[in-house]
Amino acid sequence: MKRDRTDAIFSALADPTRRQVIRALSQQGPSTATGLAANLPVTRQAVTKHLSALADAGLVTATRKGREKLYQISPRPLTDAVSWMADLGARWDERLAALRDHVAGFRRR
Amino acid sequence: MQTVERAIMIPAPPEDVWPAVSRSDDLSTWFGAEVELDARPGGRGVFRWPDGTERQAVVEAVEPGRRLSFRWLPFQRTPEGEAVTVPSTRVEITLDAVPEGTLVRVVEQPAFSLPATLQTRAAATALAAIEA
Repeated sequence: MKRDRTDAIFSALADPTRRQVIRALSQQGPSTATGLAANLPVTRQAVTKHLSALADAGLVTATRKGREKLYQISPRPLTDAVSWMADLGARWDERLAALRDHVAGFRRR
Repeated sequence: MQTVERAIMIPAPPEDVWPAVSRSDDLSTWFGAEVELDARPGGRGVFRWPDGTERQAVVEAVEPGRRLSFRWLPFQRTPEGEAVTVPSTRVEITLDAVPEGTLVRVVEQPAFSLPATLQTRAAATALAAIEA
C-alpha cells in the first residue's frame, strides 16, 4: 500500500522517544547520536535507531562527520504536519457551520 | 501531538442535535461526504466524498444525546481507486445542553493507541477483508 507522506510523519512522531529526539535536536542543533544520547535517557544504539526512523520519514537529515553521522532537523515535514492539522480544523469549521444550518432548517420544517 | 478542537453553539436542544450527528441521512447533509454510519460501539462508518475519496471509521463510544466518538481507519481510497495510508485520528463529538441551546464540541486527534507497524498491518487486514 502506498503511504501518504503525512502518515509517515505522524507515525514517526507517534513514538514518545522519537519526539524527545526531535526536541533534543531542535534544542542542541545539529548533533551526533552520541551527543544526543548524552542528554536522553536511552542508549546511543536506541537513539541511532530512532534517528534512522526519523530520517526515513524525512524529519531529519544526516551528513557524515568523521566516523559518525551528524543529524539535523528538516523543518519542512514538521511544517507539513502542522498545516495538515490546520486543514483539519478548517474542515471542521465548515462542517459545524453546515451542521448548525442543517439543524436550524430541520426545526423550521 | 496536536489536537484539533472546534466548537459551535446551536440554538436547539441536544435531543434535536443528536439525530443530526448520529444518523446517516442527516450526517450526509452536512459532513461533506455521503455517510453510512452504524452509531453503535464497534459499528462501521463509510464516508464517500464527491471526488471519489472513501474513508472508513469504527465507532468507539456512543452516549445517545451526549457523545459520539469514532476512529478513522489509517487508510483511504483515493479517487483513482488506490489505497493510501493516512494518519489515524479519533473524532469525538460532544453535545452539552446550555441555556442558549447546545454547545457542540469536536476534538480530533491522532489515535496512537497502536504502534505504527500494527496500524499498518491492521489496515492491510481490513482492506483484504473489504476486497474479499
